[in-house]
Amino acid sequence: MRAMLTRINAIAAKELVHIRRDPRLLVAVLVMPVLQLLLFAYAISFDVRDVPTVLLDGDRTSESRAYLAAYEHSDFFHVVGHVDSPAQVDRAFDESTARVAVMVRPGFGRALTRGETPSVAVLLDGSEPNSAQLGQAYAVALNRQLDREVFVEWAQARALDPSAFGAVDVSVRTWYNPGRRSADFLIPGLMVVIIMIVTVQQTAVTLVRERDLGTFEQISVSPVRRGELVLGKTIPWAGLAFANMVATTFVAITLFRVPLRGDLLALVAGTLLFVLCCLGIGLLISARASSVEVANITGLIVSFLPGFMLSGFAFPLNSIPVVLQWISYLFPGRYMVDIARSVFLKGAGFEVLWPQIASLGLYALVILSLATLVHARRAD
Amino acid sequence: MPLFRRHRTDEPEPEMAPDASGTPAPAPTEPPPAPAAAVHVRGLTKRFGHFTAVDNIDLDVRRGEIFGFLGPNGSGKTTTIRMLCGVIAPTDGEATVLGFDAVGQAEDIRRSIGYMSQRFSLFEDLTVEENLKFYAGVYGIADERYEQRRAYILEMAGLQGREGELTANLSVGWKQRLALGCATIHEPELLFLDEPTSGVDPTARKRFWELLYDLAESGITLFVTTHYMDEAARCSRVAFIYEGSIVTEGTPDTLRTTLVNDTIFEVTTGDVDAAIEALTASPAIAEAYLSGAALHVNVGTRIDGPEVIASTLTTAGLEALSTRVVTPTLEDVFVHLVNRERASSVPGQ
Repeated sequence: MRAMLTRINAIAAKELVHIRRDPRLLVAVLVMPVLQLLLFAYAISFDVRDVPTVLLDGDRTSESRAYLAAYEHSDFFHVVGHVDSPAQVDRAFDESTARVAVMVRPGFGRALTRGETPSVAVLLDGSEPNSAQLGQAYAVALNRQLDREVFVEWAQARALDPSAFGAVDVSVRTWYNPGRRSADFLIPGLMVVIIMIVTVQQTAVTLVRERDLGTFEQISVSPVRRGELVLGKTIPWAGLAFANMVATTFVAITLFRVPLRGDLLALVAGTLLFVLCCLGIGLLISARASSVEVANITGLIVSFLPGFMLSGFAFPLNSIPVVLQWISYLFPGRYMVDIARSVFLKGAGFEVLWPQIASLGLYALVILSLATLVHARRAD
Repeated sequence: MPLFRRHRTDEPEPEMAPDASGTPAPAPTEPPPAPAAAVHVRGLTKRFGHFTAVDNIDLDVRRGEIFGFLGPNGSGKTTTIRMLCGVIAPTDGEATVLGFDAVGQAEDIRRSIGYMSQRFSLFEDLTVEENLKFYAGVYGIADERYEQRRAYILEMAGLQGREGELTANLSVGWKQRLALGCATIHEPELLFLDEPTSGVDPTARKRFWELLYDLAESGITLFVTTHYMDEAARCSRVAFIYEGSIVTEGTPDTLRTTLVNDTIFEVTTGDVDAAIEALTASPAIAEAYLSGAALHVNVGTRIDGPEVIASTLTTAGLEALSTRVVTPTLEDVFVHLVNRERASSVPGQ
C-alpha cells in the first residue's frame, strides 16, 4: 500500500514537472481558460436592450399617454419616434428604424374608464427572432406590471410565428435572471465548457506522448501497475482542472458579478465528478489514438463541439433536434451545465440536483472503467 | 572505475557475487531457491492473430552471465523480452525469470529486473536528478538508499555536478549511461538490454560495454540483444533467433569462427534481384543476399571470388559495378546460419 502510494506520487510529481517545464502547456492550462472566459463572455452576448420602438397613439387620451409612457421609461424599449398611421409603422420596419411598434387603438381611454378590456396591438419585426421573442415577453411583462387589464393583440409582421416562441422558456429565464443579463446565463455554462476542453484534450495527449517517448514501455516493465500510472498521471490534471474551475468561478463572481446563490458544496461535488468524467474521456481517446496529433484533434472535437452544442451552454437543449438531444446525454457537459446554472442562478442544492450529480457519478464510473479496459487490451 | 577486468567466457561461471554496495537486494515476496536460473524458458510461443512472433523456443540463462540474444529486426527478440518481463502473456509454453513465473508472478519479476531499450526512456524535459528521483520512486527506494545509489550512478555515468541539467541537453553517450543508471537504480538481479547501443558512436559503445562488464562482475545477469558482431563477441553465451525460432546457441566463438574461412564480397550492381537470382543459382557461390543497397556474396573458400562473381553476372547479362572484400558482420553470420538451418530442415534439397 505504501509502495503503491510512493509510485503514484512519483508519477504525479513527474507529471507536474512536465507541466511546469512546458510554458505553452502552462499557458494553455492556466491562462487560456480565464482568457477564454473573458473573451466569450464579452463577445457572446444575448443581451437585448434598447430595441428601437415606435409608438402609435390612436386614442390621444391621458390614459393612452400614461400607458405609452411606460414604454418610454423602459430600458428594453428605445422609443425612436411617434407615428400616426399603420403605414408609417410598415415603413419604419422596412427601413429597420424600428423593430417593435406599439399601437393604441381609439377608444382605449374610454374602455379603461368603463372597466372594459382595452385593446393594444404590439407589432414585432420577426426578422430578428431573438429581439422579437424578447420583445414579446417584455411587452407582456410590462403590461402585467402596469396592472392594467389591457388586451394585447399580437400581430405578426414579417415571418414571425408567435406560436414558435418558447413562452415557458422565456418566462423561466426571466424569472431567474431578472436583469436579463446574458452574462449570468452564459458564464456558469461557459466555465463548464472550458474545463471540459482543457481537461479532455490534455489528458488525451499526455498518455500518448508517454507512449511515443518509449517511457510508457519502460514503466510497463517496472513495478508500476497500470491503474497506478493512470491515477498518477491524472491526479495533477484533476487538480489543475479543479483549480481552473475555482479561478473561473472567482472571475465570474468578481468581474461579471454572476450571483452564487446556491449550495457551494453541491457545485464542488458536481465539479469533481465532472472532472473525473472528462479525464475518463481523455484517457479513452489516448488509449485509441495512434499519435499525439490524433489525440489532440480528437480531444478537441470530442470536447469542443459537444461542449458548445450539446451541453445547453449556448442553445437550450429542448430546442435542438431530438436525435441531438439523445446524443447530448452521452456527454457529461449537459449535466454539469445544469448543475452550474442551478447552483449559481437558482440557488439550488443537493436536494434538487442529486439526479444530475448521480448521473455524473455513474458516467465517471463507466467511462473510467471503459478507459482502463481499453488500455489493458492495447497492451497486448 | 576498475581499469582491468577479466575477459569472460572460458572461465567458470562466477558465483553470485555478494552485493557490492552492501545494501540488501530488493526483497522479493518469495525468495527464489538459490540455484534458480536467471531465465528458464520451455516451448515459449507468442502468436498475434495468424502471425507467430515467437515459435516454441527454449532458453536457459545462468546467473551472472552475459547472455547475447541475437537476431535480425522482427525476429522475435523484443517480443520474447516482453513476455519474460510479464508485459504480455505468452500464447503457449512456460517461462520463469529468477525463479518467478512470468505469468503468475509478473509483479515479483518486475521488482527484481531492470530493463533498458535503445530508446533510453528518459524524460527529456526532466533534469538528471529528477529522472533518477522518478525511477527511485517507481521502485520504492528509501531516501538513505537513494542518496547512495544517486552518488554511485552519477559517478558511474560521469554526471557529477550536472544533476540539474535537463536530460534533453545531454549527448547520446551521457543519456545512455544515465538510462543505464535509471534502469539499475534498484540494483536488479537481472538486467534486460534491448539493443542498448543502437545509434551510439563506437567510443560511447565501448565505454558502455565497460560499464556492463562492471555490472556483470558485481553479479548481475545481463540479457542483451544486439546487432553488432563485436558486442555479440563480448557475451559469455549467445542464442540466435530467426523468424521466431532459435536457430543456434553457443559461445560467441561459434559465431566468430562460423565464417572464418569464408570470403564475403560486397557487390554493387544495377538489377539486384536478377543478380541475386543468377548468383544463387551458381554452384560456385555459397550465398548471395541483399545487405543494405548492395549485395553480399559468400564465395566460401574460393580464392577466385571476383572472377567467379564477374563471370556469373556477365552470363546473366549483368555487370558488377564494384566488388570488394568485407569483414563478415553478424548479419552475414545470421544469413549463413539460417541457410544452414533451412538446408538441414528441408531434406532432399
